Amino acid sequence: MKGTLKVEAKSPEATIRGLFARWLKEGKLSAILSPAYSAAGTATLALFSNPQKLDEAAPLLPAMGVNAASIVAEFARDASPNAKVGLFLRPCELRAVVELIKLKQVAPDSLVLIGADCAGTYKAAGFRNVRGKDADFDNKHVREQSGYAENVNFRVACQMCEYPKPLVFDLNVGFIGMDADTELWVEAATDKGKGLVEGLELSAQDEPDKRKKALEGLSAARKATTAKRIEELDKAMMGPEKLVEYFSDCLNCHNCMKVCPVCYCRECFFDSDTFQRDIGEHVRVSLRKGATRMPSETLLFHLTRMNHMMASCVQCGICEDSCPVTIGLATLFKKVSQNAQKEFEYVSGRSLDEPLPLATFRESEFTKVGEE
Amino acid sequence: MASYEPKIVGFLCNWCTYAGADLAGTSRMQYPPNMRPIRVMCSSAVDSVYILRALLEGADGVFIGGCHPGDCHYVSGNYKARRRMVLFNSVMKSLGLDTDRVWLRWISAAEGRKFADTITEMTGHLSKKGPSAFKEKWEV
Repeated sequence: MKGTLKVEAKSPEATIRGLFARWLKEGKLSAILSPAYSAAGTATLALFSNPQKLDEAAPLLPAMGVNAASIVAEFARDASPNAKVGLFLRPCELRAVVELIKLKQVAPDSLVLIGADCAGTYKAAGFRNVRGKDADFDNKHVREQSGYAENVNFRVACQMCEYPKPLVFDLNVGFIGMDADTELWVEAATDKGKGLVEGLELSAQDEPDKRKKALEGLSAARKATTAKRIEELDKAMMGPEKLVEYFSDCLNCHNCMKVCPVCYCRECFFDSDTFQRDIGEHVRVSLRKGATRMPSETLLFHLTRMNHMMASCVQCGICEDSCPVTIGLATLFKKVSQNAQKEFEYVSGRSLDEPLPLATFRESEFTKVGEE
Repeated sequence: MASYEPKIVGFLCNWCTYAGADLAGTSRMQYPPNMRPIRVMCSSAVDSVYILRALLEGADGVFIGGCHPGDCHYVSGNYKARRRMVLFNSVMKSLGLDTDRVWLRWISAAEGRKFADTITEMTGHLSKKGPSAFKEKWEV
């Protein structure tokens, strides 16, 4: 079920808020996770259950402080017969949710995946100053970004993102390639999604060509940016010498792991006792090369983390935003994960049916590995 | 470097390659003493962290031995090890690091000869290639 939805009062954001209110009032959803503005004007997320509270919801808020999939993994490990929660999330967040469902960290039964197009976001830190006192900021952003408009102030990962439209969703609300002052594109992909659009006045039609072209153009432009950034990265990072240098500021704080939506282990191996060496052990290791960098094993942490989660990395770049010493992780992980996923013809978050690369195998594949 | 002798850390699967190494030993086959064997229950038990720790702490190579495809004691462990190896190599390549210092090979309990030959070949390869860049690098 798909079609265009009329936008009220030239405010796509208010129109989506109206949908939220309707779903909560009709009892179709018991709560909705959506971006929201705090009273101080900072970008955050909230789980809305009372339709009266929805004024604070800002579904099109273009700033990202966490990947919301991390939050979903906190509260939706198990399904509940009494809860039906709508997740109004960005494409990269939904892709991470899909990975977490496959990793059995999120139970999908109580969730409805409602996506929205995303043309890019600002860092949540400092976003208050970008927005200023402009109450119409989100709608303006949508207007500007309905076609491709390069914005170097966006988060690095967003500048490289080729998925402005969610890949897996029950329902999607799109603005790219639309005249967002007057209409939004609404698309239900599953029965859950159809349940939500029932009763809405959609003017049924096929996806407008203008929208398809805009999405393709946006993806192509982003791929070009990615290629350029990876070329620059390679000059600074390739090979043992440069790689060590690239990570040499690392404090070993593990923030990149803590904020990563697909780094799902409850306790990271690197926080375990395995890495608690006593003084004698430290000296013994140091004797091997004559010196050890302290904090130790930072590069080991990063290389191992890449091996552990690159197959599921959704390239949201939230790791880079969380790094206190600004190591360029977004471009690095974009490169490493794309290459790794290509080996298995896998795209993280593309489908709920594709098995995780490391959770499956075929007897007849990669037959040269182990032989030569 | 005249005194360079490659140091290899070996992870040998309990059911096949470790027994193969044992056979090479009891049959008195000669092979270079450069590999330090570690017995593991399955080639799929060798997480990337062990390979990387060996390499970053100064090993010149890492050898992983498992059962031939189809012969895994745990039915499919070696197939999973193979996929992990593909991922590992991809990550190493993306970072511009050597992919020929880590060898995964299938060697059965009956293949003492193959075990001795493989270790000889690997030691020769690493001797020619030279020491790992991480060997002297303390800043890792």
